[in-house]
Order: sequence, then C-alpha cells, then structure tokens
Amino acid sequence: MNNLKQFKQMFLAQLKLTLREKQAWFWGIFFPVILMVIFMTIFGGRSNDDFSTKVAIVNESSNETSAVMAKQLRQIPIIEVSQKDPISEKKAKVLVKEKEVDAAIVLPESAKATSIKLIVNKENEQSVSTQVVAGVLNQFIQQANLQAVGAAPTFEQQFETISSGSSELEYTDFLLTGMIALSIAQGGLFGMVDLVDMRRKGLIKRLRMTPAKMGIFGLSDMVMRLLFSTIQIILLSLIGVFVFGANLFINFPSLLLVFLMGALSFNGIGYLISSFSNTNEAYMGVANIVSFLMMFVSGIFFPVETMPDWLQPVSNILPLTYFADGLRDSMVYNTSILSTPLWYGFCIMLLWGGIAFIIGSLLYKRKSIVSVR
Amino acid sequence: MNILEVRNLKKSFGSIQAVKDISFSVEEGEIFTIIGPNGAGKTTTLEMIEGLVTPDHGEIQFGELNWNKHTITIKKKIGVQPQSSAMFDLLSPEENLNLFATFYDKARSTEEILKLVNLTEHRVNQVKKLSGGQRQRLAIGLAMISDPDIVFLDEPTTGLDPQARRNVWEIILELKKLGKTTILTTHYMEEAEKLSDRVCIVDQGLVVTLDSPSALIEKLTNEREVRLSFLDGEKAAQDAELFASALDSVTRTEREGTALKLWTIKPEDLLFDLFKFTKDKEYQVEQVSIREMSLEDVFIAYTGKEWRD
Ligand SMILES: Nc1ncnc2c1ncn2[C@@H]1O[C@H](COP(=O)(O)OP(=O)(O)OP(=O)(O)O)[C@@H](O)[C@H]1O
Ligand SMILES: [Mg+2]
Repeated sequence: MNNLKQFKQMFLAQLKLTLREKQAWFWGIFFPVILMVIFMTIFGGRSNDDFSTKVAIVNESSNETSAVMAKQLRQIPIIEVSQKDPISEKKAKVLVKEKEVDAAIVLPESAKATSIKLIVNKENEQSVSTQVVAGVLNQFIQQANLQAVGAAPTFEQQFETISSGSSELEYTDFLLTGMIALSIAQGGLFGMVDLVDMRRKGLIKRLRMTPAKMGIFGLSDMVMRLLFSTIQIILLSLIGVFVFGANLFINFPSLLLVFLMGALSFNGIGYLISSFSNTNEAYMGVANIVSFLMMFVSGIFFPVETMPDWLQPVSNILPLTYFADGLRDSMVYNTSILSTPLWYGFCIMLLWGGIAFIIGSLLYKRKSIVSVR
Repeated sequence: MNILEVRNLKKSFGSIQAVKDISFSVEEGEIFTIIGPNGAGKTTTLEMIEGLVTPDHGEIQFGELNWNKHTITIKKKIGVQPQSSAMFDLLSPEENLNLFATFYDKARSTEEILKLVNLTEHRVNQVKKLSGGQRQRLAIGLAMISDPDIVFLDEPTTGLDPQARRNVWEIILELKKLGKTTILTTHYMEEAEKLSDRVCIVDQGLVVTLDSPSALIEKLTNEREVRLSFLDGEKAAQDAELFASALDSVTRTEREGTALKLWTIKPEDLLFDLFKFTKDKEYQVEQVSIREMSLEDVFIAYTGKEWRD
C-alpha cells in the first residue's frame, strides 16, 4: 500500500520534471516531427517521378481485346504512355533504341492472339523501370487470362490494388515507421542522461540517504519514459496518416510488444552509457555516436537492401534494424504476434537491452555512486 | 546519554588518507560542531556516519543501532543535508518536500517545514530560481521532513551572506529547542563558538581537540591581551609601560609609538591600577580594549598553523 503511494508520488514528480524539461520536448517530439516532414517532402515526392516509366504502346491491328487493354494500361499510374495514339512496332523500336521511352508494349494483333510483347533496350534490361513494367504487365496478363476463362474480377479492382501498393505510398509508410523507431530509440539512448545529471548533482546519493525504495523510483522513471514514447508514436502516426497519407494497418498486440521491447532495449543501452559517463557531455558524445551509426545502417530512411553488401551483416545485428522492421510489420502489414521474424527481432532487442543493462549495473556497483563527488 | 558514538574511524581513497583516526561521541540534544580547514575530512567522516561510505576501520553506534543490522531504522532516525545540497531543481520547494515526505512512514507536514525554514513565500517557485540561501534552507527543511532525532548539516552556511547565515543559525537553534541533536560542520570559527555546545576541531583526518568552545579557550591560556593608546604622545606611553611592567600580574609588554599592549592574568586589576596611575599623571587614554581569545587562537595553538576561512 505504502509502495503504491510512493510510486504514485514518484511518478507524479517524474511527470512534472518531464513536462518542465524543455529539451526533452524539443528533441523528443519537435525534432523528429520536423525531420520526418523534411524527409517525406523531399523523398516522398521524388520517388513518384523515379518510378513512373515512359512507355509506348503498339497496337498495329486494332481489335476488341487490344482496345480494352490499351485503355486499361493508360490508367496505371506509374505507366506513362508517351503517345496519344498507338504507333507501329517499327517506330516503337526506334523510340526504345533512342531511349525516348523506357519500354514498348506490343498488344495482341487479333482478338484471338494470346501474346503481349514487351520491348526494352538491352542496356536497360535490369533497370528498375523495366522490372516495374514487366511486373505490372505480368499482373495485367494474369488478369486478362482469368477473364478469358470467365473467372474474371474486373480490371478496375486490380488496378486499384496496384496503385495503392505503388512505391510512393510505400515509402511514406516506410519512412513513418522508421522515424517512429528512430525517435523512440533516441529517447532511450539520450534520455538516460538524466541519470548522469542526478548522480553529478548528488541527487542519487541524497535519495539513498532516505529509506526511499530505489526500485520504485526506477520503475516510475521507466513508466514515464514509456508514456513519453507513446506520445511520440501517436503524434508521428497522426502526422504521417493525415498529412502524408500513410496507410497503417495495425496489429495492436504485436505493436504493443514491439514497442515495449524496443523501448526497453534502447533504455538499457542508455543505462549502460550512463554507467561509465561522468559528465553530461561525455554521455551525449557517446550517445550521439551510437545513434548516428545506427541511424544510417538500420534501414530508417532507406531499406537495408539498398546498402552495400559488406555493410548488411552489421545491420543484421543492430537492434534498431529489428525495431524498425518490427514496427513496420505491426503497423503497416498487420503481422500477427505469432510471426517468427517478429520474435527473432524480440530476441535480438532483448539480448542487446539485457546485456547492456547487466553490464551497466555491474559498472554502477563497482564504482559505487558515492565516490563521484 | 550518548545518541551517537564513533570510534577510530579511518578511510582512504587510493593513496589519500582522508580520515586517519577520528573518535567522538555526541550527546542527545546537543549541537555538535566539526570544524576544520578544506580537505580535513569532515564530509568523509559525516558520510561514514550517514552510511554512505563504508569505513576502512572503526565503529559507528547509534545507541543500540548500527548500520549492519538496522539500516532502515537508522535511515528513519536521521536527517541529512549534504554539502552539495541536492534536490530536484525543476520542482518547487513544496513539491520537493511532498516527494521526500512519501519516503517515510511518518513525516511532518510540508506546511510546518516551510514555516520552519522560512520559505512559505517561495513555496511554488522552481528550486532553480531560488537564491543560494533559500536553497540551503530548503536543504535543511528536506533533512527535517521526517522529523528525525539526529540532523546532519554539512556546511549549512558556506557561501551565504551574513544575513542569510544568521537566518540559518536561527533555524539551527530552533532545532535545538525542538530537542533535536544536530551535528554540523563549518569553516567559520565564529559560527562554531556561537552555536555549538561542543566543538571538535579536525585537521588532516585527525581530531585536534574536542570540548565546549569556552572550555577550549580557557584551556588554551588564561592570559588576556589589553590594548590602550595615549593621546599625550610617546612619553606618556613609555611611562605607562614602565609602570605596568613593574606590576606582578603583567607578564609581558609591547609598545609601538603611543599604542601599548599588555598581557596579564588579571585584566581587571591591571586596568584599575593603570587608570589610577594615568589619573595622577593626567594622561589622557583612548581606545581601551581587552581582546577575547577565540577558537582561532585555539586552532593556531594546537596546529601551529594560521587559520583561514
Ligand atoms: N571520493 C573520493 N575520492 C578520492 N578522494 C576523496 C574522495 N572524497 C574525499 N576525498 C579526499 O579526502 C580528503 C578529505 O575530503 P573531505 O571532503 O572529507 O574534506 P572536508 O573536510 O569535507 O573538506 P571541505 O571543507 O572542503 O568540504 C580530501 O583530500 C579529498 O580530496
Ligand atoms: Mg566537506
């Protein structure tokens, strides 16, 4: 009973301390929001251009099937048809060769014909746009086949699916979840500077002169930090969804667990840093390096797959990689809490947080808080 | 009755012997002052008694209680104001006191403490906006929140202006009226003389001497220094010096121009005889004083060192 009262009062004090700490609000809330807005404005817009491809449509002998297909192809957002009217195959080949267009699509010559031909420049065979066009065309053909056997869903529906999965929106979701992961990670990584400050000012020593239960104090501190991170996640999500049109499909049990694991893991690392830093500056220096390194190799702004091969093994052991992935799985892909990759990520995060916490505790014990004047 | 007993405390930090050998006992209800220059080992001694630093050697007894067996009981009995008056800077005095109150089963009301340390007006300002003296008073208030029997104050007045220092003195004397035992450290001899029932002078980790301030001064010597100066020129002073040195009670004389210094064990008799002499000769005397010995003289006598605040 008395413990509960102590917890309540300590939590209340923590709440006031956090509310009055302007730095915390700047770095924890304002800064991530600004960073996200900047990144989304710059990269969210450009990726749209990157991924739309110029295509020429060849429809030499116009027929019923090809007319429908030509119309449908024009509706796919990332395919930009270069000419208003279909052109001849010969002319299309010239355009491809001169790289006026990324590809040419040759529609069936008659209603009975079953092949659709894709013409691309040899040099561009492996390029992103070729892959995209080929992928889209493939989908398109499958639908056409389905329709041909009479089991057809409408073309219209299929196109919507393709468009909502288009790269621009995916990047918004990707960046949003990445930014959430980053701000919670930094909250833990930087937040423990309070501990260094308290030790430096002799506050920890002061508390130890009282019968106060330090465990309860730690717990109230942790609950406050989780609350702060919850504010971060909600605020960033709201901005992502309402300003940048991110699509979230949240699995709440998974999200809750990912959130807890990530927050605890990074607070553990922060705790370790605090155990060997005697000044705020020393702490911030180490925390900055750690955060900076993790930020760029953990797939926050760009997918891990886009990084050089030799760097990827590093990404694969960092907790931030799994935290960001976990958030993507639970917030965008509605991944169930039973998914194996999710638990693999939990293990890695738990390992980092746990080991950091244990080493930190040992270091704290060894130098005994009192010896720091 | 001894409320606290400390025997043969020793503590080293690496090669530095902070406390070499310190023993004393404190009686219930007294103000016990530990005084000594920077680095004498005052804070280290207090921190060992407060259970923060484990002594390398020695015993600490709170009546029947000791740190090994009665940690929580002792923590509830003592109130501490550390040298670095640590508190939550972003909270107000009231909030700090309320928070500390929850650490104890029984606590005095925040209201009462604020009044005791004279901070009622500043109760809602954040601590970081308080002045040094106000901060120090709050630190004492925090030490008092649990209504402890023994209060430890580590340099409660260092860095305060004379007015603020007097305020703190009043609080300390108030504690004595409440029946508390106070153990405080200071650099100021004047403070030790004014406040304490007993003074423990420490230097380089050792107890130099320990007694009540008046006893310490008395023990030192019963000689007094009497100073006079004459308005009628050096001749008058010379005559007076000659007269005085012939008296039995005068041990030593010293003259500089018209200023005369005389050392005597009976200052009242000396003055009586001397004034009779000057009246006969019609010499005019101004600025007569008998210098009191102070704790500073005690320190100088025991250590051979000059005292600096
Ligand atoms: N944690 C520590 N590590 C190393 N040396 C220490 C430590 N604490 C104290 N000392 C040393 O022990 C000696 C006594 O220090 P202490 O703080 O007890 O002195 P003090 O009498 O309180 O001085 P002051 O009047 O300046 O407060 C000093 O030389 C100090 O440098
Ligand atoms: Mg000290």
